[in-house]
Amino acid sequence: MITRLLDSPAFGEKFAQHWLDLARYAETHGYDKDKPRPNAWPYRDYVIRSFNEDKPYDRFVQEQVAGDVLFPDDPDGVLGLGFLAAGPWDFIGHWEVGEAKLDGRIAKHLDRDEMVSAVFNVFQSSTVQCAQCHHHKFDPIRMEDYYRLHAVFAAVDRADRVYDGLPAEQERRKQELLSAITRLKKEQETLTTQVNRLIAARASGLDRRIAELKEKHGTGLKPQYGYHSGITKNPNEAKWVQVDLGKPRGATEVRIIPAYDKYNNIGAGFGFPVRYHVEVSNDAEFKNGVRRLHDATQADQLNPGTDSIVISGDGNAFRYLRITATKLRERKSDYIFALGEVEVLNEGGATNYATGARVDAKDSIEAPVRWAKANLVDGIYFRELGNESALAELRELQEKRKAIEEEVRPEGTEERLAAITTELEALEKERKAIPDGQVVYAAATHFPRGGRFTATEGNPRPIHLLHRGDLRSPGDAMKPGAPPLWSGVDDSFFDRGEWSEGEARAELARYLTRDDNPLLWRSIVNRLWQWTFGEPIVTTPNDFGRGGLEPSHPEILDILATSLRDDPNHSLKRILFLLYSTEAYRRSSTHEEANAAIDRNNRYLWRANRRRLTAEEYRDSLLFVSGILDRSMGGASFQDFQIEKPQHSPHYEYHLHDPNDPASHRRTVYRFVVRSQPQPMLTTLDCADPSMSVPDRDESTTALQALTQWNHRFVEAMSVRFAERLKAGSTAPEAMVREAYRLATGRAPSEAEEGILTQHLSKHGAESFARVIFNLNAFVYVD
Amino acid sequence: MSIDSPASNRRQFLGSFAGSFSGLALGDLLAREGVLSGTLHHPPRAKRVVQLFMAGAASHVDTFDYKPLLEQKDGEPWDPGEEVELFQSTPGACFASPWSFRAHGESGKMLSEIVAPLGDVVDDIAFVHNLVGKTGVHSQGTLLQTTGFNFPGFPSAGAWVSYALGSENENLPSFVVLPDHRGYASNGAKNWATAFLPAQHQGTVIRPGAETPIADLFPPKSKFITKQRDAAGLDALSQLNSLHAAARPGDDRLSARVRSYELAAAMQLSATDALDTSREPQYIRDMYGLAPEGPGVDDSGVINEKAETEFFGRKCLVARRLLERGVRFVQVWSGNDNGFPRRNWDSHGDVKRDHAPLALGMARGASALIRDLKQRGMLDDTIILWTTEFGRMPCSQGSKGRDHNPFVFTNWLCGGGVQGGTYGESDEWGYKPQDRGRYTSVYDIHATILHQLGIDHERLTVLNNGIDRRLTDVHGHVLEEML
Repeated sequence: MITRLLDSPAFGEKFAQHWLDLARYAETHGYDKDKPRPNAWPYRDYVIRSFNEDKPYDRFVQEQVAGDVLFPDDPDGVLGLGFLAAGPWDFIGHWEVGEAKLDGRIAKHLDRDEMVSAVFNVFQSSTVQCAQCHHHKFDPIRMEDYYRLHAVFAAVDRADRVYDGLPAEQERRKQELLSAITRLKKEQETLTTQVNRLIAARASGLDRRIAELKEKHGTGLKPQYGYHSGITKNPNEAKWVQVDLGKPRGATEVRIIPAYDKYNNIGAGFGFPVRYHVEVSNDAEFKNGVRRLHDATQADQLNPGTDSIVISGDGNAFRYLRITATKLRERKSDYIFALGEVEVLNEGGATNYATGARVDAKDSIEAPVRWAKANLVDGIYFRELGNESALAELRELQEKRKAIEEEVRPEGTEERLAAITTELEALEKERKAIPDGQVVYAAATHFPRGGRFTATEGNPRPIHLLHRGDLRSPGDAMKPGAPPLWSGVDDSFFDRGEWSEGEARAELARYLTRDDNPLLWRSIVNRLWQWTFGEPIVTTPNDFGRGGLEPSHPEILDILATSLRDDPNHSLKRILFLLYSTEAYRRSSTHEEANAAIDRNNRYLWRANRRRLTAEEYRDSLLFVSGILDRSMGGASFQDFQIEKPQHSPHYEYHLHDPNDPASHRRTVYRFVVRSQPQPMLTTLDCADPSMSVPDRDESTTALQALTQWNHRFVEAMSVRFAERLKAGSTAPEAMVREAYRLATGRAPSEAEEGILTQHLSKHGAESFARVIFNLNAFVYVD
Repeated sequence: MSIDSPASNRRQFLGSFAGSFSGLALGDLLAREGVLSGTLHHPPRAKRVVQLFMAGAASHVDTFDYKPLLEQKDGEPWDPGEEVELFQSTPGACFASPWSFRAHGESGKMLSEIVAPLGDVVDDIAFVHNLVGKTGVHSQGTLLQTTGFNFPGFPSAGAWVSYALGSENENLPSFVVLPDHRGYASNGAKNWATAFLPAQHQGTVIRPGAETPIADLFPPKSKFITKQRDAAGLDALSQLNSLHAAARPGDDRLSARVRSYELAAAMQLSATDALDTSREPQYIRDMYGLAPEGPGVDDSGVINEKAETEFFGRKCLVARRLLERGVRFVQVWSGNDNGFPRRNWDSHGDVKRDHAPLALGMARGASALIRDLKQRGMLDDTIILWTTEFGRMPCSQGSKGRDHNPFVFTNWLCGGGVQGGTYGESDEWGYKPQDRGRYTSVYDIHATILHQLGIDHERLTVLNNGIDRRLTDVHGHVLEEML
């Protein structure tokens, strides 16, 4: 029977829950906003599968610290790195603040501390985090050791990364898209070539002359483009730029020359306002004595391209000229205001008062050489041709060519080309949405930049020892290493000054899994003992240091640890088989006063520890007993909440979820775990807080638990489902009671129990009866 | 082993034997008693705590920390004589508060017009104007103020107090949270979580005025649950669970669970009674500024004073009713997450628009709470803490907003043996502490509150993952001068 249970896929599901508690696993970032991590779950499946496959423990550890380096050809090597990334992540600190600021560097420091602490708490059952500010009080861990560990993780962040190729269906779709795109592009090319050939046959004379004109009079594009406003998402945000002539000038003509920039294939008229007006005044604030010389605010204006806008003066002198854009032109799904040049000319145009004048603007992107306020009055702007009569000729030729184009283009070609463009855009969008492969949220060094969150591309950040843990008080630079917790191990991984970040993590993985590591093997067998008997041998499973507690059975711990280490397969199932085969495991939970007098707390396991169902087991049991538990394994998590306001700070609304939604009737290990707004029912029932590594859950008994188990919507819904199941069988009350009791507790009710239950069932119905069953001590506790 | 305090002992004791039937009394299992019940470190001055939390970061220079220099230099370039790195922006010009300040009380404490309702009680308030934070990131600042650590994984101050002192009324939770009904602030439930303390010390969320103020207090909408069946079911359950427990001697958890259902039933009555503000006389309802239309008052358009007063005032009134009934720690929130439209104190864009209604609503509710506790003789042993994640800058962001200021901000305390006055000043700008070498930290505030409750903050510890953890980390000094 033991072998059967160990071989059951449910074994992995059960033991993975213990490991996920340790790994502080959740599927949102926590902190502010608590945004979802849609690709965290492959790590959960990896843990379940690793337990089920009885993965050698050293390999399991190595994959979770440096699997990408040590096992580059195995998807598990990347999946395991979900461990390092599983804890909380400060989105704002990384994404919005960034490492250019102290606050961003503090966020990054806390992030590394979180990884370092998790690795040592979980694999080594040691506490290193207090060495951040001082040498460890009890254990041989110095500040240098702690910061060496920071150096190990100096290049990694938390992000999605590819662990394997795409699933077959997605791969097929991707290939479909790629071939459709190729086909359309080819058609586009053919059509364009056809048309061009037809045009060329009629327009070759024109084209030759156009080329001649450009050759002879073309000025080329000089790099000083002009003025460029700030970028906005709102096309109706008014923006202005103004020129100060130094003193009032009587000008007769104002010329506004558009900018030219190839960005997004825009070219001529780049950023020229769609609506605008031109005003003059002697008041720099434009509050008094404002005269409007030109008003183009009433209708959208065509893009003037390279043509200047020429405005006559009104005869009165002015000192300031302001151009205000009231509707901005699109750039690339955003909006700007840009101009190439402004000229303020005297009678006859001999003097340009604006040359070198002071330019002010509501806002400006100062990015010289190309863009600067000063470029608006520098006399440099894009001129298609330098000669006015040549330009006139060019325009005429261009008109003619346009007419030819219209004439020769075959019927429907233009429409077809437009349709192809639209279709291509849609296909490209879908193709881009397909990732390069299957991804997992894991420790990563390469990922696309987002906000101010930038990948290191494998270059370790400089790590210094920090006095009092303060980033403003850096000490010596640190190289990767680990605490010399036992003799024969070096504290530094590299003699040389340079190392690759992957090699540093690989060294740490080797350090952890060395045969002479006295902690790793004891740590895991202690946990296996705890998960089997309910109580660990060392009752502080995440801390074997001198801050922790003494083991109750040190010899057993050593025997098991040695046995696991010396087993070439480092098999956890073999150890569990041993434990399950013991006489101690087979004892019942029956109380015996004589034994209790000697060992009241059952330190020596003279009986089994009566076990209360965990939060997850309680939920699973309700589904199972009601006959609706969906046993399908793996894949994306079910959500037992609705998300409101997902754009900014998602609100996870558990009370809006329908408890009868069949998608949520899977085992609780497959639920979507929210970090900052945890599931209320499970939290009240003592499930683990994923903000930290939880080696042992609390077991509280409270009035709030009673209210939850009695009144929760889920319990109510399952009572109805259980009643349906019961009513489908025998309808004799006694038979229903016995069947229900057997399903819920695995045994028959006593005569007294049967009497009370039968009476309640007969009088109040199967649903109310089921609700009572789900609240029984006999259901909640396993003898 | 590092056992240096009764708390540590006790925790390790519980931790060691969780899941076994050690002979703990029912009271222990149901956590009516705290670890320090009957063994306080020194005689207490206070029994209970109210934490008023202004989510989003309330501006000190627009409320309690008067800066005449900003009025003089309004609009001029701001030069504090050092490089300033801000959360979102580059420092703008000096920005005088849009509100006028006036002296209040015998002390003549200057208060902004948007917190003037606190003028009536200003002499009872101890202002600390030189609080210093760690970073200008909301989540970190909020966690620091609620848990004493700027990253998640630590118990809320309320959970620590509940853990230490237990409940005065077993029919109500000992730690209650009244969140802003429009959404949780940064970090959500982590601000009232127990982390590694037993789960019963987590803050219980109560939403005064909501359809379901306490989750699961009563049966859900159901086709089969009736009043009669509910009672009959509980009766059958009690009999069955008692039989089960009697057949299994030596495991007190089983009888504790029987008792937990009785407590749950009692809690239904107590909590309903505590939340029933309709029984309050009209003058009390007016004092707290409750709106005639009740909690449904409209705030869908522009943020407005009437709605903010109703929201915060109702929470303050409910807080008083809970405190009267023996709740140890009440956390009251003003402001939600940074959704749209803005309903919190994070006034990057427009201080005037958001701070005026929020501050007036807060000041009316808080002032009423203080006066009400005083007239009932409860202010002497109730300590009120007003806090926020950090302050806001003396310079402008854009033309109407202020960026974060973690370098200095204000807290105030009231009641529970605290003497009114001003303890700790900020510099002439309200930018950093006046004496940069001497500032106040959240650890000092927490140490002081624990001290008033009869707890030595260095001796209330719990071993977690190898470290003896406490609310004040390795810091904290009791602010003796204000006691």
